[in-house]
Amino acid sequence: MTVMDSQGSGEPARPGHQAQGADLAAQIVLVARGDAAAFDAVFDRISAHVFGIVRRVIRDPAQSEEVTQEVLLEVWRNASTFDAGRGSVMAWVSMLAHRRAVDRVRSVQKETERERRIATSEIPFDEVAEAVESGLERERVRRCLGTLTELQRESVTLAYYGGYTYGQVASLLSVPQGTVKTRMRDALIRLRDCLGVAE
Amino acid sequence: MKLSGITIGRNAAHEPHTLAGAYVMDAIAPSDRAHFERHLDRCDECAREVDGLREATARLAAASATSPPAGLKERVMAAAAQTRQQPPKAAAADSRTAMASGWLRGISVLTWPNRLALAGGAFAVALIALLVTFGVNNGSMQQQLDDDVTSSQQIAAVLTAKDAHMTTRQVLGGGTVDVVVSGSKDALVFTAKGLRPLSAARGYELWLVGPAGARPVEMLPPLSDSMITPVIVSGLRPGDHLVLTAEPVGGSAHPDQPMMLNLTL
Repeated sequence: MTVMDSQGSGEPARPGHQAQGADLAAQIVLVARGDAAAFDAVFDRISAHVFGIVRRVIRDPAQSEEVTQEVLLEVWRNASTFDAGRGSVMAWVSMLAHRRAVDRVRSVQKETERERRIATSEIPFDEVAEAVESGLERERVRRCLGTLTELQRESVTLAYYGGYTYGQVASLLSVPQGTVKTRMRDALIRLRDCLGVAE
Repeated sequence: MKLSGITIGRNAAHEPHTLAGAYVMDAIAPSDRAHFERHLDRCDECAREVDGLREATARLAAASATSPPAGLKERVMAAAAQTRQQPPKAAAADSRTAMASGWLRGISVLTWPNRLALAGGAFAVALIALLVTFGVNNGSMQQQLDDDVTSSQQIAAVLTAKDAHMTTRQVLGGGTVDVVVSGSKDALVFTAKGLRPLSAARGYELWLVGPAGARPVEMLPPLSDSMITPVIVSGLRPGDHLVLTAEPVGGSAHPDQPMMLNLTL
């Protein structure tokens, strides 16, 4: 790969997702057996990923850190439940992280109605502080988000990065709930295909 | 809407599929989540779609990757050292395989959470016990208990195979079949419910149709409460389809049209 990292960090280009993923999956197997060294290595591979999405959803740094810690501990505790037949480690970890982040946001939301009402135009899907993932990957995701229709993109960003339910997304966008549901699915199918996600 | 079995209200049966996107983005209420997960248990295709869409969300997450604050690693490693890990589930308790036991859904003694709670060998033993009971209650008089046990063990072997996967299909003319296939065992387990009753002179017959032609598998036992008790079909060959037809009770040399089910294995 000759594409320059847009961050100019001089990081070497990343090897294919596949090879990296297989290696990570093998380490999760070791983690499941209580191998602390493997967990140490896994931590280095997934912590930025976890913290990134948790903070994107929760925003508050202190709470984000707390939830990130919970998620990483969950990876340790439940490593044996990871099923490579169902997908990559990153998909599994993202699920754990996103679910917990959303749960936290929604439980907080119950007490104090969330003050932030993100206008869709402000969705900062390309704004990332201190990103460590290669700029190339971010660029690819941004490009693929760009192939979506506006409604698809807004539905995905509000739901995934904003942590909103499809019902909330529907009222934010003033579209019927059924439409939002369908758009979310269509959008992810398109993203999956655009990003060349391996089945 | 009934919670047991394959029957879920018409719109619910249609609706869940469109929830796949919202589901993988956690954009659904907990009750919707549970409902959709029940749908996934029954729909292999949907489960595969969900797995694929999850990979897409992982990339969305990756695009946000941000270095965690210093000190987090030490805290997590220290906490891990003091945290007991969850033991693995034995293969038999693998959720998808457990779910594959579709006909168990109708048996009220085993509610869904209980089935999930059954672990490892206990699951297989319980399954065999249940199938034996089921077989004895429903099987013909001359069938020996030994046969039932052997068949139940074969069934359990397919269900608990690592590569077991379940497919649910509608039957032409009414009813649903659940088929659990294990490539490593070259066998499948077939069960059906809600099938249309046939005249006394006809019965349902299973076939394997491969490149070399059709092989009759067996005439299915008469419906009991519109259900077919589990049937083991072994000796699968590459390229086989599983076909269900209605035939004269004595069986036929060739499958009659129409095929009420034609499932690529």
